[in-house]
Order: sequence, then C-alpha cells, then structure tokens
Amino acid sequence: MSAWDLLVTVEDLGSDAPPVTLSVASDLHVGGVILKLVEKTQIKRDWSDHALWWEQKQRWLLRTAWTLEKYGIHADARLVFMPQHKPLRLGLPNGNTLRLRACFSSSVFQTVMGVCRMLNIRHPEEHSFLRPVEEKKKKKDKDSAEEIYDLTEVPLSSASRPCLYNGMPAHFADSPQMEAIYKMLSVTQPPPAPEVITKQFRPASVVDKAHINGRWLDSSRCLMQQGIQENDRVWLRFKYFASYDIDPKYDVVRLTQLYEQARWAILLEDIDCTEEEMMLFGALQYHISKVSESEPQALSSSAAMDDLESALQSLEVKMEGESSSVSEMLENMTAPELNDYLKIFRPKRLTLKGYKQYWFKFQDTSISYFKSKEESIGEPIQQINLKGCEVAPDVNVTAQKFLIRLLIPAPEGMNEVYLRCENEQQYAQWMAGCRLASKGKSLADSSFQSEIQSIRSFLAMQKTSSGSHGNANANDESINPHSLVSPRYHKKYKAKQLTPRILDAYQNVAQLSLTDAVMRFLQIWQALPDFGLSYVVVRFKGSRKDEVLGIAPNRLIRIDLAVGDVVKTWRYNNMKQWNVNWDIRQVAIEFEGNINIAFACVTADCKIVHEFIGGYIFMSTRSRSKSDTLNEELFHKLTGGHEAL
Amino acid sequence: MTSLGLLTVSSAAVCTRSLYILGCHWWWAEIVSQERRSPHPCILQVKLQALLSACHCCCQCAAREVAAQADTPLRLLLESPGTHGVGRPLYAPLSGDGAAAVWRFCPPDSALRRTVLDRWFPRRSSASPGRPLRQFASISKRAAATTTQMDDIDAMFSDLLGEMDLLTQSLGQETVPPASLSSTNKETNYSMSYTDLNDSLYELEDTDLDALMADLVADLNATELKLAADMQGLKQPSPPPPDLPPPPQGLSPRPTSSPVSPASPAISTSSNVSTPTSSTTSPLPPPPPQTAKPTREEIEAQMKADKIKLALEKLKEAKVKKLVVKVLMNDGSAKTLMVDERQSVREVLDNLFEKTHCDCNVDWSLCETNPELQLERTFEDHENLVEPLLAWTRDSENKVLFQERGEKYEVFKNPQNFYLWKKDKKSLKDMKDQDKELLIQENFCGTSIIVPDLEGVMHLKDDGKKSWKPKLFQLRASGMYYVPKGKTKSSRDLVCFVQFDNVNVYYGKDFKGKYKAPTDCCFFLKHPQIQKESQYIKYLCCDDENSMNLWVTGIRIAKYGKSLYENYKTAERKAAVGSAWTNCSTPSSSNPSTPSPTIRAKSPSQANGHVPTPPPGPVTKDFGNVPPPPPPPPPPPMANFLPPPPPEPVRPSPPPLARKSSSKPALPQRHLPTNFPPPPPAMGGLPPPPLGPPMDDASEAPPDFLPPPPRSTGFGSLPPPPMNSLPPPPPPMSMDLPPPPPDPGCLPPPPPMFTAAGAPPPPPPPPPPAAPRAPVRPSGSVRKVPPAPPKRTTPSQGGAGGGGDFMSELMLAMNKKR
Repeated sequence: MSAWDLLVTVEDLGSDAPPVTLSVASDLHVGGVILKLVEKTQIKRDWSDHALWWEQKQRWLLRTAWTLEKYGIHADARLVFMPQHKPLRLGLPNGNTLRLRACFSSSVFQTVMGVCRMLNIRHPEEHSFLRPVEEKKKKKDKDSAEEIYDLTEVPLSSASRPCLYNGMPAHFADSPQMEAIYKMLSVTQPPPAPEVITKQFRPASVVDKAHINGRWLDSSRCLMQQGIQENDRVWLRFKYFASYDIDPKYDVVRLTQLYEQARWAILLEDIDCTEEEMMLFGALQYHISKVSESEPQALSSSAAMDDLESALQSLEVKMEGESSSVSEMLENMTAPELNDYLKIFRPKRLTLKGYKQYWFKFQDTSISYFKSKEESIGEPIQQINLKGCEVAPDVNVTAQKFLIRLLIPAPEGMNEVYLRCENEQQYAQWMAGCRLASKGKSLADSSFQSEIQSIRSFLAMQKTSSGSHGNANANDESINPHSLVSPRYHKKYKAKQLTPRILDAYQNVAQLSLTDAVMRFLQIWQALPDFGLSYVVVRFKGSRKDEVLGIAPNRLIRIDLAVGDVVKTWRYNNMKQWNVNWDIRQVAIEFEGNINIAFACVTADCKIVHEFIGGYIFMSTRSRSKSDTLNEELFHKLTGGHEAL
Repeated sequence: MTSLGLLTVSSAAVCTRSLYILGCHWWWAEIVSQERRSPHPCILQVKLQALLSACHCCCQCAAREVAAQADTPLRLLLESPGTHGVGRPLYAPLSGDGAAAVWRFCPPDSALRRTVLDRWFPRRSSASPGRPLRQFASISKRAAATTTQMDDIDAMFSDLLGEMDLLTQSLGQETVPPASLSSTNKETNYSMSYTDLNDSLYELEDTDLDALMADLVADLNATELKLAADMQGLKQPSPPPPDLPPPPQGLSPRPTSSPVSPASPAISTSSNVSTPTSSTTSPLPPPPPQTAKPTREEIEAQMKADKIKLALEKLKEAKVKKLVVKVLMNDGSAKTLMVDERQSVREVLDNLFEKTHCDCNVDWSLCETNPELQLERTFEDHENLVEPLLAWTRDSENKVLFQERGEKYEVFKNPQNFYLWKKDKKSLKDMKDQDKELLIQENFCGTSIIVPDLEGVMHLKDDGKKSWKPKLFQLRASGMYYVPKGKTKSSRDLVCFVQFDNVNVYYGKDFKGKYKAPTDCCFFLKHPQIQKESQYIKYLCCDDENSMNLWVTGIRIAKYGKSLYENYKTAERKAAVGSAWTNCSTPSSSNPSTPSPTIRAKSPSQANGHVPTPPPGPVTKDFGNVPPPPPPPPPPPMANFLPPPPPEPVRPSPPPLARKSSSKPALPQRHLPTNFPPPPPAMGGLPPPPLGPPMDDASEAPPDFLPPPPRSTGFGSLPPPPMNSLPPPPPPMSMDLPPPPPDPGCLPPPPPMFTAAGAPPPPPPPPPPAAPRAPVRPSGSVRKVPPAPPKRTTPSQGGAGGGGDFMSELMLAMNKKR
C-alpha cells in the first residue's frame, strides 16, 4: 500500500505552529498514527488523555485499533491531536461559575455524570448542560470581575462514587481553597441583591420559556460535536423534574443546588405563583439564609453523621442533657408569663372609643386583663384564650406603631381585638406569645425565645429598608425584602409593606431546621400547578397556528398559545409508542384508544423533545432496587434517536 | 335521640372517683406552705402530693380535716399540677417525702406543723402505703365472698354512689374561684366540672353507665399501677426527715421486691407495652439493682432524678382531658365511650369496631353534625376527637355519628375521578387498577402532595351577606383562590380566597331552603370553633354533587396532605383484618343493624359482655408467648391478622364474666349466648392444652400450660366474636401454674404484685410476634396496663384482685336487679 501524507495539528504546540506531517498508509491504525505523531513531536509528557479529532467530520477517532481506511480518512483530512479533557466553565444553579476539567470526547450524558461525580451530586441523569443565555454585554468589564472557582486540578477518578472524607469527597479536603469550593456548593447562597434579580434575563412569556428549552445540549453527542470549545461556558441544570430518592444525608450538594435552581425559577418568574405563595417562598428564603449563616455546617455535618459512632455520641449527649436538666424541667414547670400595661381596642361596632389601657397578663395560652396592676389579684375583666386564633401584625417602626391584630374564634364567629404595644421590645414578646398561643403552645415552649428573636430581626429589617437607602447598613444581618421576591413585587410593594407580609408567612416556617426548610421550599415549589413543565413551541399536524407543548414528568399537555389554556392532556402511561421522523423533523405519538398526534417543533430541535419524552420515561423506570447502577444503555435507547441505533 | 352529654372531666377527676370508691381516701395531703403574702392570712395551699396528683380531692378532704383541727377558717387553694408557687422549690415534695416539705415550709412553732405531723404522718408511717391495698383487698374479698348475696352488693354500690355524690358536692363548695388568687400566686385553679360530670352521669342510661364503669375500672387499674410506682418511690425517702421514723419498709406492699431478679423482666416488658402512651420516660420505678445499693450518692441522685421525671410525667398525665361521648349508630342506637384527649379518631373507630362487630371497612367514619349550621363533617382519622368536641357549645344539639361514608376515601379508590376529572366519564370508568395505583403514587407518594387541579365557577356567600355571587375559583396547594373580575387566570393575578390552616371544610345540608342557595350542593369553610351563624363562615355552592365532592376532597387533600393517605392505608389494613374476622365469625357476629328494641333488651348483657373486653393488644402479644389452645376453627392466617391495635388496652384483662363464672359457672351460659356464639363445647370444659399449632414460642413448655377451668369459660365469654375463634385470654395467666383458689388466675393483679416474692420465675415474655400489628399508636387511656402475670402465690393476695373484679361484681349485681 502506498504511503501518503497526513496533516495533524498538535494543539500542545500552540495554535500558530504548523501541522505535523506524517507519512502513513491507509492500513495504519489510529494507534499507530498517534505513536508516530508523539515520536515526531519529541515532547516527553503524558499523552494518554490525547486523541485525534477529525475536524471536517466533527468526530473523535477514539478506536485506536481501527485503520485509517476504516475511518475513511484520506490525505485531505484535517486532524487535531488534543486532550480529551479540557477546562470548561460551568455555571451552577446557584449562579456561581466553576472551572473544571470535563470530557469533551464522550457523550454529554457521560460528561455530566463525570462532573456530577466530581461535585458529589447523585443521580446525574436528572441533569444536563444548557447553553447559557447570552448576556447583554453593556459593560464588558463586568465579566472579568466574576469570581471563578477553579477545580481543574482535581484528578479524574472513575470510581462510581467518590470516597468521602468528612462527609465530602476526598478531593475537596485537600486544601482550604477546595473546602471553600465545597462550601460554596453545599451551602445555600445569601439572597441576591434586588438589582441582581432585576438585571437577569426573565422570561416574559411561555414562548420565552420555550426558547430556553431549545438550548439543551444533546445528551448522546459529545461537547466538541456541539461546538463547545475549551473554556466555554455551559450551565449545569436539573433538566428532568423527577427528583428521585432525595436523601438529605447524602445529597447535600444536590439538594442545595436544586434549591438554588428552584429559588431562581421563582425569583425570575420562570414558574408562576400567587402572591401568597411568593410571600411564603420569601419567608423560607429568609429563614434558610438565616439558618445557614448560623449553622453553616448543618447540612454537611449531617452527612458526616454517617457512621454509627458519631450518631451514638450525639445520642449520648442528648441523654446527658436530658438527665442534667431535671432542675430545668422543674423550672419549666413554673409557667412563665408576661405582665404589662397594654392598650386594647375592639373594632367591633361603630364605636368612637379608642384604645384603652389595661394591665395585661399573658399566661399559658390566654390573655387576661385587669383595670390596673393592683387589681390583678382579682377577677380579670376578660380572659381571652388565643388557641386557634389568627394573629396578624400591624407595625410601622418609623411611626412607632406596634399593633397586634387578633382574630379570636368563638362559637358565634370571630372576635377582632387589637393590642397596642409601646415599644419594640414589648411588641416582640407579646407578639411571640400570641403566635405560640395561637398554635396551642404556651410561653414555656422552647421556641418562645427564638420567636422573639425572629420578630425582632424582622423589625430590624423594616427599619433598615425604610431608612434612606439601606445600602450603608445592609451588611449587618438585615436583608432587603426585595431580595426575596420577584421583581414584580418590587414594583407592587415597598420594602416596608413587604416585610410584614413575609413575616406573616414566616411564622409557620420559623421553627424548621435548615434541611427541613430547604425541603419545604422544594415541596411547595413542586406543588405549584406549573411545576415540572418544560415548554416547546410546536405546530401540530393539521393545525395552522403555533401551539405550546408542555412536557411534564408524567404527561404532555397542549396549551393554547394565545389564551394560555390547557387544551389537552396526554399521560405517558397511556402512550403506546412515539416516533421521530428525522427527515421531516416530526414527532409522532400514539396513545391508547387510537389517539395519534404528530407535531413539528418550532423553538427546539425535535431531538430535544424526543429526549425529554424518552428521558422522563427513563426516569420513571428507575426503581429503588437497582438505584445504584444507572442503566445508561436504556437511557440512550430511549433518548438517542437514530444515532443510538 | 338526645345529644351526647358533653362534659369536661380531667382524668384526675375520674381517678379520684375510682380511688374514692375504693376507699382510698386514706391518702395524706401535704400542707406545703402557708401563704403569707396573700390578703387572706389563712389561705392554705394544699399541694397535690405530686406522685398522686390524680388524687386531687383526697387532698382536699385531708386539708379540710386539717383545717378543722387548726381551728381557723381555712380556705383551700388547690394547685393544679404543673404550676408552682413563685420560686418555691418543689424538690422535697416531689422526691417523695412530703414531711420534709412540711417541715421546711411551716414555721417550727406553727400549729399547723404539729397538726400535720400528728394527724397525718403517724398514720402514714404506721399504716404505710400498703394500707390502701389492704383495704382494697378486703373490700374485694368481701365482694368475692358475697357474690351471691346481691343485696349486699347493691347496698355497697349505692353506698359508694352516695359517697361519690357527697364528694362531688363538697368539691363544688370548696373550690375557690380563680378570682381569689393573689397576684403573686402562680397557680391556676383546677377547674373540673364536677357538676357536669354528675349531671351527665345521671343522664346516662344504665347501659351507658355500665360502659362507663368499665372505663373507670380501667382508669382505676392505671391509677393503681401509679400507686405502686409511687410507693416504690416512697420507699426510699432521701434524706429521711430526722424527726420522723422512716416509713417502715417491711410494710410496703412489695417487701422483697428489689432483690427478686426474675421480676425485672416482667417489669420491663410491661413497661414496653405500657409506655407508648406516655411520651418519654418509663413510668416504672427504678430498677431493683439501684434500690439495692442506696448508699451510693450517684445512684441516689439518679433515683431522685428518675422520681422527679416520673412525677413530672404524672403531672402531665393528670391533665389529660376526657370526654364521655355518645356516638349514634346507623340504627338509631347509641354507644357511649370515654374518649381521652390523646386518642385519635382512628383509635376511637377501632374501639367502635370492637363494640359493634361491623365489617370494619374503610368507609366507617365518625361524623359530627351541627343542626344549627346544618353541617356535617367527617372527622379525619388522624385528628384528635376531643378537641373538636370541646368547641361545641354547652347547649348544642350537635351529634357524633358512626357511619359509612363512601366519600371519605373515594379519592384513593378512584383517584382518576379527582385527578383526571376533566376527561370524559366513560374512559374514567374502566380505568385499570394499575393506572389508579400509578395516579396515587404520582400524587401522594412523591416529595410533595399534588392537589387535584380544580377550577370552576361556584356561588359564594360570605361576609354575612345574603346573596350568592358566582366566582371562578381555583384550588392550589396553598389555598383557594379566585379570579378577580377582568383579570386573567394566570397565577399572579389570582386573589387568595382562603388558606386552609385555620379552617375546616364542611358539607352543608339543605341550604337551598335555609339560605336560598342556587342548589343544594353546598359546602362551607369555617374555623372549627365557630358554632353559630357568622359572617366569618364562607358558604360555597356548586352546580352538582360531583363537583361538590371534588372540591371538598380537593380541599381536604390540600389541608391534610400526606396524613390523608396514611389514614387510608391504616384504614385499609384495618379493613383487611376486620373482614378476615367477620368472615370466620359471621354466624356469631351480632348485626349492628338489629332492630333497636332488641338492642335495648339486650343491651345490659351486651354492655357486660363488651365492656371488659380484654384488650386485643395484649392478647396478641401474648400469643407470642403461649402456644394457643385449639381455636375452634383456627384458620392459620388469622393469627397473622390478629388483633387490631387496641385502642384502650388499659382495661383489666380479665373479663369480669370469667370471674363470675368462676363462682357461678352457670351464669355466663345464660347471659352470653344472646350475643355470642356459645363457646364450643370443647372449649367450655376442656382445659385446652396446647393442641393448636404452636405459634411462636416453642420455649414455652406445653406441660406448663394448665389453664384453670375458669379461664376456659372466661374464654367463651370473651365478647368480640373474633375472640371466639381465637386462643384464650392473656396467656400470662396460663403461666400461672398452680391453679390458685377459685378466681385469682383471671384477675388483673394490682401492680405491686408484679414483683411479689414468691413468684415462680416466669420466662420473660418474648416480644410480640411480628405479624400482628403491635399497638404502636399511643392509645387513649391514661395508661396501658398489660395483663400482668399474676405471680403471687398466697391466696390472701390473690383475693386482692384488681378493681375490675369488684366492678364486674357490681355490674352483675345491677344487671340482676334489672
């Protein structure tokens, strides 16, 4: 066989260096080519990660035993010799950017698996890469200021599960910097400044949302094939909203990132919710940021609790605590109470009577009041049991108005009673008492003090936000309520109007632990009617207008683009088969009962739709028993399309 | 059909009663302090002896006597357990030594101190805590001896009732209203509606009374166990007051208790069984080894701590509220139950299943009705029953019904009707079970509960207005919303109509007539406390019944979430057990829908038969211990299903009838057949040796198993039909080898007997078999007392059987009289 010249660009020689010319024969196998190439460059180094990339055909020559002939390579082929793993800038759900080495030669599915392994995220199949939305670069210097967490030095391991050290993968325990990165991954971020939220891209309509879904990378092809170059940016996101087997003990990073993604979805109105829900989300964010500040290790330490011994130890501590607190228990038996002069007002009828001052006594779950302190020995004028009542704040710090509105149930209906406190301190105590009593807890409850604290910190929040700009003292633990809600509410409410509403919602979550609060946030998110819907604009066969296809974990829905109404719902479990006609780019689905639908995809490639459907079906096949090994083959079968065959 | 007599009784009252009945008012009260700061110089604070906080009124009696002695007009302040005087250390009284407390708080020269000492402590030290038991024992012995002389019993009973009246009256007079409390006092007065109790007790019919008695007996047993615990605590006064002779230990009811090692396993087992109710610590006395070495300070401190914990526990328990609830059956008859504050509706339902022999299907529910609001609501199984009932007004005509309500769990039977309601009805009708299961999985088993996607126009009437206005409503997990006029349906524009934290959803009846509603398919939302018409009630009217059910169920899912599904699962398991039972006992089960006259006629004996039902729970447990004797038709699977978690395992284990039969074997035969299948002849006479498939415990040597004849009869008399097919009552009894004098085998031994010296060391009962669901949930009654293995050997002690016996005597007597 005759020899011919093959041009190979060696990336490591620099971009300007001329290609290396090799004299090869068609029966030379790829391994031989690489050997020749390495000899010729005369550079001694580890070439094991390098491989040949065929630029025109956009494919890797990874089978070293295949001959050039078998690959169909001729003299005109431009080959590049380069490492398979290259640095990639990875945008995380929490908004931070990681720089790490990712595999550019294997399918995105596997690359994601590798990345997730490195970051200690279980169930990588729920994730994928998303091409980032182009930022409007008004100020180009902005970009350079961005902090990048560098993980490129992390050696790549092939172990299916990294060995844990102190609850985190061993490579994070190497240096303080690495630990800091792990902390960034596993601890929720503080609420963003309101300006940051307003500046971010917000989908204004379903079509906008649909466009985002056109950006998913193809799981069955590699990064190089999809035009992703070294040091390019991609986003790592949860793609399939079928979070499987979440265990706060093992899923520290996963849970945190899922929370971050959910939080941003709410803040950027990627998913719609009502005002009440938004306030609750705001309250939860506030609580989570508070708690994670005070106990930053809570999440990771729970993972460290893995071994029995530490669990036993903590048990021991608990026991000791219990037995030593006998005297405390006795103290607790002396029920605490509040006594003070407060003003009361009953907005019952058309009375001109204003607030009247009485001596109030808060005991157990009820309030009684007397004419004066001296008369408090006798029978109270009235005793009000607060159990089951509704408590609402009416506070204006600048105006020094501290009002507790009580709606007290009685057989005849609800009685309205307003209690007016003199100052913050008094208000915080009585308000906390009322809150607890409304839930049937007495002042002796352990949460009393923390309740007081949280009320005070909310008051502080109102103080700063009502102050001039709030920026000066924004760092001292107060949070701008506008950081907790979507921009829509920035316009609708002033910060000080927002504060009481968030505080109101906060009451029900204030006692949650960090993990519980995160879980609660996720639960409420998942309970939203639109949760888990990924939109694609499609055109149904036989229809003349564009419509929206919503792809959910368990069903497909057809949405009228103009009105936004759900027209039709099909569930996957009624699906008999689905086909993609790759030539005319049409997806055809057959459901039980002879229902056939077919549509062409407008805002996304039909491969993306195909992958979504196949992906969700794959997600539903995961069962607890074989959760350890991911059935990659099945995934590709379901999502790969014609390339997988 | 009268409404149920609703009364608030704290368990203290109940226990008090029982104690009093049994003549236990010997107990001493401590005069803890003289309230000097109070405006009334002679207000005495009688602190409840903490360990016996239940014995409220006894203290009062005692104090009254003290007052008489002190020759001053004394007023009583009863301190409720749980609160204490300002900064006053409670350590001494709690540690079990009241004398020290008195000593510390009274001035040395005070007449009071003398009085107290003279009058009470000698008595205590000489009579010792053993006394109540003795006394009690003698009473019941007397009762035992005179079973045939009904007049005596009758007299005794009326005597006791008289005493009860006296007691309640005196309490009514003596209790000082809270108003008189000085501001510095921190106590809250105990408010128990004795008069209520009294009234409603009289209102009750005889059958109800019988049922109640049984409950009381149960309480009594619990109290006794407490007593025993107390006494053990008292045995080691630390440090003994110098002036007083330490209470002679020899007189304690269980003199040799501590060293007996075999006793401890028994104790621990019983504690295992009995603690599910009590929240944290085991109410049982510290283990023997500790008492054996009282010298070591650490141990002492530990003991002290234990005692204090114990005391705190009791104090908590004493606060438990109880209601006497009359539940109306489908057929118009009624059953009366004592419901504990901590009991869930599920437990009450289980209780009713036991009493009615219904098929236990998942539809059985407890409903409340309020004729004034024309409402109807099914209680959810996880709710506490007492709480909503307490919201009823005194004069309310509200009722509690025991009914089958198909809509209760319809969402789990046909989830497609709720989650796919938009689809056409036909395709929903023949949905595959598999798909239904999938729907449930999707919506109830994920990380969050998905509420049905409901949306529709309903007519609303609220704010006390008279008109009904149509609005487009949407249901979300976070609440109910409506679309304001001129706005879109998008989430951000929705206006919150109501969130479900503070409201319940009710069906409205006949609102077309009452409020001129567009249709009769109405439901409404209100705070559970609201009992009368009010502007705060939100009335909604649907087009048809189907959509009304959709909404009500949807709201329930949004409000209760996962509990709803868990309730269903529990109910389903229950139903499986129930149906198994009914299947094999069909011939015998009494039909709940028997015409009422019959019921009426039957009721006395029925009550007798039912009430003392040995708690199935313990029985189950016992199966593990003993090879069951041959059940008439012992279907092996049955054993697996066995008994539902007993709602109230507190009851004295021995069926009173068993006791009866021991003395008058003919009696049960006369009574029982009315309700139950005659005990299979084999059972009746045969001492059934372990013929049946030895179930779990092979270690239990069959020859040991020599049930005394009374037991077998007793077995026949076990009320719930399923029992008939099941092995005999608490096997621990069967462990009791030497068939003791006539009765004791079946009696619930008073707790002190647990560790009686002469006990043949019984093998510690192995843990309950896995198959039957052990009584996991905290059940209502004050205490669960497992059937205690009677380990006593002396007949004299045997005579001291639990109050159960005595009570059953009384009941028998009453029945006879009728």
